[in-house]
Amino acid sequence: MEDSVRGARIQYQEELAALEERALGGIDLVIETLGRTIEAVQHRDIELAQMVIADDDRIDGRYLEVHQSILTLLATQAPVATDLRLIAALLHTIKSIERMGDQCVNIAKLIPLAGHQPPLDERMLGDIVTMGKQVKSLLSQAKAAFATRDVELARDLVRGDDVVDNLNRECFRRAIEVGDEQDRREWAMTMLLVARALERMGDNAVDIGEQTAFVVTGLFQEFEDASHPMPAATAGPDQG
Amino acid sequence: MADLTQERSDEQTSAGGNDHAGVDQAIAVQPDRFQQPGSAASKEKVFELQEISVAYDGNPAVKEVTMDVHKGEVTAMIGPSGCGKSTLLRCLNRMNDLVPSAAVTGKALYHGEDLYGPKVDPVQVRKLIGMVFQKPNPFPKSIYDNIAFGPRILAMKGDMDEIVEKALRGAALWDEVKDRLESNAFGMSGGQQQRLCIARCIAVEPDVILMDEPCSALDPISTGKIEDLMLEMKREFSIVIVTHNMQQAARVSDRTAFLMVELDATEQNRWGRLVEYDETQKIFTNPSNPRTEDYVSGKVG
Repeated sequence: MEDSVRGARIQYQEELAALEERALGGIDLVIETLGRTIEAVQHRDIELAQMVIADDDRIDGRYLEVHQSILTLLATQAPVATDLRLIAALLHTIKSIERMGDQCVNIAKLIPLAGHQPPLDERMLGDIVTMGKQVKSLLSQAKAAFATRDVELARDLVRGDDVVDNLNRECFRRAIEVGDEQDRREWAMTMLLVARALERMGDNAVDIGEQTAFVVTGLFQEFEDASHPMPAATAGPDQG
Repeated sequence: MADLTQERSDEQTSAGGNDHAGVDQAIAVQPDRFQQPGSAASKEKVFELQEISVAYDGNPAVKEVTMDVHKGEVTAMIGPSGCGKSTLLRCLNRMNDLVPSAAVTGKALYHGEDLYGPKVDPVQVRKLIGMVFQKPNPFPKSIYDNIAFGPRILAMKGDMDEIVEKALRGAALWDEVKDRLESNAFGMSGGQQQRLCIARCIAVEPDVILMDEPCSALDPISTGKIEDLMLEMKREFSIVIVTHNMQQAARVSDRTAFLMVELDATEQNRWGRLVEYDETQKIFTNPSNPRTEDYVSGKVG
């Protein structure tokens, strides 16, 4: 009997799969935007930064599209069990994607403030570029983990995020030691804001990993509890 | 409350054809593997079903169901057609006694007392454990007489007008019919007729109300009223509902039992089996059994 009825609600299943593809596709948009953002930071390219700002409409559009599709599916298909968890997780994920798009915009808006001059601390800039690459890698990993429902791969995001957090702390230390001149301090403060935005994006990638675990296990658990962190080995700004 | 042995003890053997041999045998009680620690375990049990099986003419309809029903809760039974959920529901107030070919084995305890024990009076059982059916079935009498019928038969003490009003208020029907109590019940809408049947059921002050697809013949507004009513009524009664409408189970019930059809090797014989029984929230967000998942998400039916 089961064979005769298996495959019911095929259109719904297809809609759900398409929704997931569109939502996770938003991660690709962020990876692309982040690549341009880091390039703009690295080369002090204000025009490229303007493109990043203008292009955020694509990510916002994807957010609205996925959000509307989720509302429609909830209203018309009354999803339950794994489907319901998937839809809830996609709602969280698309919100994280939208936030990451905004972080890229935040960074892009800082680029004119840093000026056209060569970087005043090459090593700090190098750390920021490394952070950007690491976050891109985390985002690819978060997408793969979600798409394949791989909880171990999702949990492993924490390890990569620690690298981002440590680089952020390193930037903080370098900013303190950058010197007394006002220009140098302004530049370092601006770069710290860039590092902070990247650090937040790393956390967003981990959030997507936590949603992956929720879809698979039905239990929501933070991989790392920022409210009750392990004793910090080194001083530095709070890591969210 | 659970005194099932009042009068009419001469009738208890007249519900012919039932084979309750298994009742007298010692039956190992399986631990309830679905029970959440510390939640339902602490609630008073109205029914304890232990390895309940029902067969018609020797053909099994439901096999070996073990589950508890808790006081003050709405318990839903869901599953595809033929999975035996209505058969199981009818075990809870011995309605299967009325089917000569039906045989019930296993143990059904009601407040700890064997529902199928030799001294139990089925009529007393059905007074304490009322039933509302799929199609509204009012008597061809006035609204008042429909409600008063049961209390008169049972010679209940108290003012009959008060009994009728209380029952109609309990079924959220009083305001709609208080000015036409002498009108024929057949003049009511389908939704009102079903609430009249609920009022008739609660007029005899039962402990449990069994509902067999009570909204399947009703429009969404009437369905909404009955569902609101169930949430009100569970303060006073325990409710067990069989429904094909999974969203209804999700909306109104505290715990949900999912039954599935099983086939033998020849695929000629089929029977129902309890697949999963858990808190409703768990069943609809994170069921333990993949077969439950497939059914509640509509992937198999």
